[in-house]
Amino acid sequence: MILAPVLLVLMGLAVDLGRLYLIKGELKTAANAMALAGAQSLVGTEQSTALASTNAQTAIQVASNIGNKYDFAGITIGQESNLLASSVDDPEYFDTAASAIGESENASGGTVSGATARHMRVTLRVEAPLIFFGLIPLGQERKVPIVMRSVAGMSAPLCQACGITNIAVAAVDPADGTDFGFIPGTRYTLGFSCTGAPNPGNLANTTARIPYLLLDKLDSEAQIFADETSQLYQIGASGLPASTTEAKACFQISSTSLIWTTATTLACNTNRVQPAITALGCGLAARFDTAVPGACASVAEVDTLASLNAVDTDLNDLDDYTQYTGNQRRVITVLVVDALAANAEMTLLGFRQFLLEPSNGAATLSVDAANGRFPALYIGSVVPLRQGRMSGCTITAGPGKVVLHR
Amino acid sequence: METALLLPVLFLLLLGMVELARISYTYYTLQKMLTMVASYLGTRQGVNFCDEADLTVTQAKAFALTGTNEGTNTPLVPNLDTAGIRVRAERVAVDSGDLGECDCSAQGCDLASGGRAPDYVTVSLTDGYTVRVALPFINLEPIILRPQVRMPYGGT
Repeated sequence: MILAPVLLVLMGLAVDLGRLYLIKGELKTAANAMALAGAQSLVGTEQSTALASTNAQTAIQVASNIGNKYDFAGITIGQESNLLASSVDDPEYFDTAASAIGESENASGGTVSGATARHMRVTLRVEAPLIFFGLIPLGQERKVPIVMRSVAGMSAPLCQACGITNIAVAAVDPADGTDFGFIPGTRYTLGFSCTGAPNPGNLANTTARIPYLLLDKLDSEAQIFADETSQLYQIGASGLPASTTEAKACFQISSTSLIWTTATTLACNTNRVQPAITALGCGLAARFDTAVPGACASVAEVDTLASLNAVDTDLNDLDDYTQYTGNQRRVITVLVVDALAANAEMTLLGFRQFLLEPSNGAATLSVDAANGRFPALYIGSVVPLRQGRMSGCTITAGPGKVVLHR
Repeated sequence: METALLLPVLFLLLLGMVELARISYTYYTLQKMLTMVASYLGTRQGVNFCDEADLTVTQAKAFALTGTNEGTNTPLVPNLDTAGIRVRAERVAVDSGDLGECDCSAQGCDLASGGRAPDYVTVSLTDGYTVRVALPFINLEPIILRPQVRMPYGGT
């Protein structure tokens, strides 16, 4: 009789304690998935936190009976079940990783606006059932609360970025490590580099023309959409296609690269560009509208390609990026090089982001502007990239990717 | 005398305890294994989830199960092979926000025909993992463990 409590404790240690560890493990997985999924939406716009909260919830949805559940995958997180409470706290948002990781329970912050939020903390609170511990006075409630947190957010700047465009612009001020001399919130005209006079001016409603070139990423082994124009269209529409070969899909800082062989510069006064640049422009326009403009008919398989891409959900002409509410289709990540050179290798200094703007007075991006020009708003490096590596360079600013901090 | 009466009960309790702990342990191992497959695949690029023979997927499964890409070592848990691990690509429906399995088409996740990457990867066991509870004189139904993990694709 005296032995009974001792026995119960022993049983509890074997059964209940194991189960508690197991539940903690499952919850950690769920919290990680939520934080990672949510943090991908923290793109520096006012509504990004709301979007992140929604996406975090998606990560614990149960679809076709599969999802991140707990207690031997028996209980859905966020629903009360068998008198066991389970809830998800409102995610907290932070501007720096240090404050997000914050040691204390009530670390300051957690209320930063969407425009500055870069990191999120997810907290799950569930109750775990006790079987044998429930029979001794210590565990009379027959359940025990478990809290699990995960913090995810933007990483350190990436040295290798994948799935971005191959548009290269020259740094206005190479010594400016943050913005390379570009001014955030400024509307620029990106125009294909050309030679001789007259210099094509900037488009209406923009401040200056930034010349660009296309760096070579032609994939000679492409299995689908192998035509050069198709490849450029794809890069324009959704960035470099994902590949298991990193060299095909990624750019590395400090590496050198030549221009896309057929995307050569022409005299400015011809007011035209090579078909390669038109193909890329058609891809960029596809981020606004799936209809294929006449000028794009020469792109191989253009109708199929156009049907593959979704358009942005916010096509408004914006002066203030924080008011953007779309799905980031309009955000392009470009390469910043030391100096544009049509015939020599260019050294890659960094990656920066622009928000494509609809052409002046139109709802979509026009591909008809002479000299491959299009308007874009400089936004710095606020949108996390999907793929890349952080090793191999020493830079202080640039877009990162979403990583788990804790 | 009393001890003699109690002993079989105690013995059964002890065995049951060991069995329960063993099941928890097995489940935890499986859960960790699937988490590894999911978070590994979630950070790869160019993975074609529509291709049954995709190298990255097969290697991830083999690595989680055996510790080698080729799957040459002994599996961590007996009676489970890579075919028993199911990897499902999921995408969020634009209108409803609900998750659903991603079609293997050009509009879906089939990279080989121009599809885009999925939003989430879920990993589960195709038929669950069956464990038998071994207790003397008591015949219990086998227990089927069904661990499952979802991770966002891209990021980290």
